[in-house]
Amino acid sequence: MSAISELSKLKTRRARTPEERAAARKEAGRDNKAGYLFLLPWLVGLFAFTLGPMLASLYLSLTDYNLIQTPEFIGLDNYARMLEDARLHKSLQVTFTYVVVGVPAQLALALAIALLLDKGMRGLAFYRSVFYLPSMLGGSVAIALLWRQIFGTGGLVNQVLQLLGIDATTGYVSDPDYALWTLILLHVWTFGSPMVIFLAGLRQIPGMYYEAAALDGANKRKQFVRITLPLLSPIIFFNLVLQLIGAFQSFTQAFIVSNGTGGPSDSTLFYTLYLYDRGWANFQMGYASAMAWLLLVIIGIFTAVNFFAAKYWVFYDD
Amino acid sequence: MGTSRRQFLTLASMGAVGAGLGLAGCSRGGDDGGGNGAGGGDAGGGGGDGTALTFTWWGNPVRNENTSALLSAYQEANPEVSIEEQPGEWASYWDRLATQTAGGTAPDVIQMDMAYISEYGARGALLDLAEHGIDVSKFVEGTADSGDLEGQTFGVNAGINTPTVMVRKDILDELGIEMPDDTTWTWDDWLALGTEISEASGGEVVGTSTFISNDAMFSGWLRQQGKELFVSGNQPGFAVEDVVTWLEFHQQFADAGAIPTASEITEDSSVAFDQGAFIVGNTAMNVYWSNQLQAVAEASGGDIAMLRFPSIDGDATTRKAWYKASMLWSVSATTENPEAAVELINWIVNSPDAGAIELAERGIPANTEVAESISADLSENQQRVLQFINDIVPELGDTPIAPPPGGGQFGTLLFRYATDMLFGNIDAAGAAQGFYDELVASLGG
Repeated sequence: MSAISELSKLKTRRARTPEERAAARKEAGRDNKAGYLFLLPWLVGLFAFTLGPMLASLYLSLTDYNLIQTPEFIGLDNYARMLEDARLHKSLQVTFTYVVVGVPAQLALALAIALLLDKGMRGLAFYRSVFYLPSMLGGSVAIALLWRQIFGTGGLVNQVLQLLGIDATTGYVSDPDYALWTLILLHVWTFGSPMVIFLAGLRQIPGMYYEAAALDGANKRKQFVRITLPLLSPIIFFNLVLQLIGAFQSFTQAFIVSNGTGGPSDSTLFYTLYLYDRGWANFQMGYASAMAWLLLVIIGIFTAVNFFAAKYWVFYDD
Repeated sequence: MGTSRRQFLTLASMGAVGAGLGLAGCSRGGDDGGGNGAGGGDAGGGGGDGTALTFTWWGNPVRNENTSALLSAYQEANPEVSIEEQPGEWASYWDRLATQTAGGTAPDVIQMDMAYISEYGARGALLDLAEHGIDVSKFVEGTADSGDLEGQTFGVNAGINTPTVMVRKDILDELGIEMPDDTTWTWDDWLALGTEISEASGGEVVGTSTFISNDAMFSGWLRQQGKELFVSGNQPGFAVEDVVTWLEFHQQFADAGAIPTASEITEDSSVAFDQGAFIVGNTAMNVYWSNQLQAVAEASGGDIAMLRFPSIDGDATTRKAWYKASMLWSVSATTENPEAAVELINWIVNSPDAGAIELAERGIPANTEVAESISADLSENQQRVLQFINDIVPELGDTPIAPPPGGGQFGTLLFRYATDMLFGNIDAAGAAQGFYDELVASLGG
């Protein structure tokens, strides 16, 4: 180790006069300028459309703001009000259920399908695209509308059940006992993007490990548990973090399926949907801003816990 | 050189957290939305001596066509005025208007709804039209003050409406059930008739769509007892007990099978107009505004009878009916051309030329001369509406006040608690209390 670092030091120090070094610095400076120039559109976007509004929303979260009159500073009242807002608690409960059930289920399905596709079957590219498709469509308005049709009172699901002789008349999207589960199902169905990432990860695992394990008499299950899972753990972690953050912010599906009400009986009142309801339907933008910041904190905590826990189960081989 | 896999994945996850930050930032930062935002929207961009106005409305294809024709005709007659059209859809209209208002770029002329007029008017976002020469002198009684709020006129009636009960006469005939006499029927008759239809059809057709969270029906029922939906001072004009009675009355519909199931009601609330349970013939009665007759008749293809809503006493002259503005015309308080905007509205509501283009699409014109001048051009259904509007004059009570800020959510709020009760999650008393508390908390906010 020390030998290598010595070598690299030697390399960088190799025959440099002060003039040369100055020229190199100048060169680098020009490169940086060009780099920033290319970054400019993104930087402008970041400051004007993300950081600026974020700071504004942080301030607005401390105000009583109805969108029409000047915001009135009220300190932490909005945050205090959250403690007693029963609908907010309900929306947190709905969102947590959605995330805690939906994300692991979706990742498990994505991994299972990726393992199947990794067998090297004919027409892999075709199947990969087909399975990826729901990911592209799942967040769309069209699919949410379709979901309403499939799980409606006279929808496809009930029609099939009736063909099988079951007297099914439940409107799954309009019954508080089922509505959230149809949305979780919709989420699980959009397993495509984590699947593609899993597939790429599986391809990275050298085949020699499996050959060696086979020689030592390890069966398929053991190979999966002892080789595939550990080597795939960074990818699983990545997918988990990404999907968790995405799921917390789900909005479109619930908005379309319940027509923006979070109904029936608030059973699909996602956190973001309630935020929207407060901000735009009830003109309580100050409160909505405070809710956005609470969500940020919640997502931050979940992500931090994830990163902390990762130390104990994620294995990096590089 | 070369980012390790660990670094890459860590960075990528960080990026995703960043996306989370984006959401926190998505609320609009209305930094200068208040007092000094007036100069923000360069509405006078038409240049020189011309007057530029922006004009927004929500609608349907027919209304969009009418409105464009209307504005073209006005611009032709007044070449110095140029009008920018901003059509919209009801669902996204209010999000956009709120955002524009917050940003100080509200359109000059705004199609407004009774549910939102206090929201904007009481908060200083709308112009006092009376101060700028609005002319409602020819308006039929009870319609001139629709958009008045504490002595100021924030909106002017764009068309007259009144709540009605529409009945599928063809279905009742088929079942051999007699039409009710709407000059004498009571709320209990509605329940009895609904039950009769459900039973006679063997469940094929459900008696009536529910009106449990219909604010117009609840209001009518309250008014017949000397109460109101809202009274001045941002207060509800009824007590929790009234809601309990109302909800218990509707529980009888549910128990008798006279309304669809809670699940079907929820579903019905989120489908498009032409897929509604009444339109497709799953129910035989429903509450609609009078100006919807044409649309209901066309979409359902059935024989639609338009009835008066019932009374407690069984006498229609005591039913305390009222005219509602189907919508209103308002002007933004930040407009640079208040006179030109008001002048345009005066022309729309008072000119027979405008009436000839509009006909009764936005409701029967409140200006009696305009209403008369277009009556021959109206479709058969629109003529029925005009007739109905004229017939009920002896049954009118006082005009209800506009819902206070927060009151626009009345129906949504009641629907949530009412369906909760119909699903059996809560009893009528609990639902009524929850509804009442939440309503009071949101009023005036």
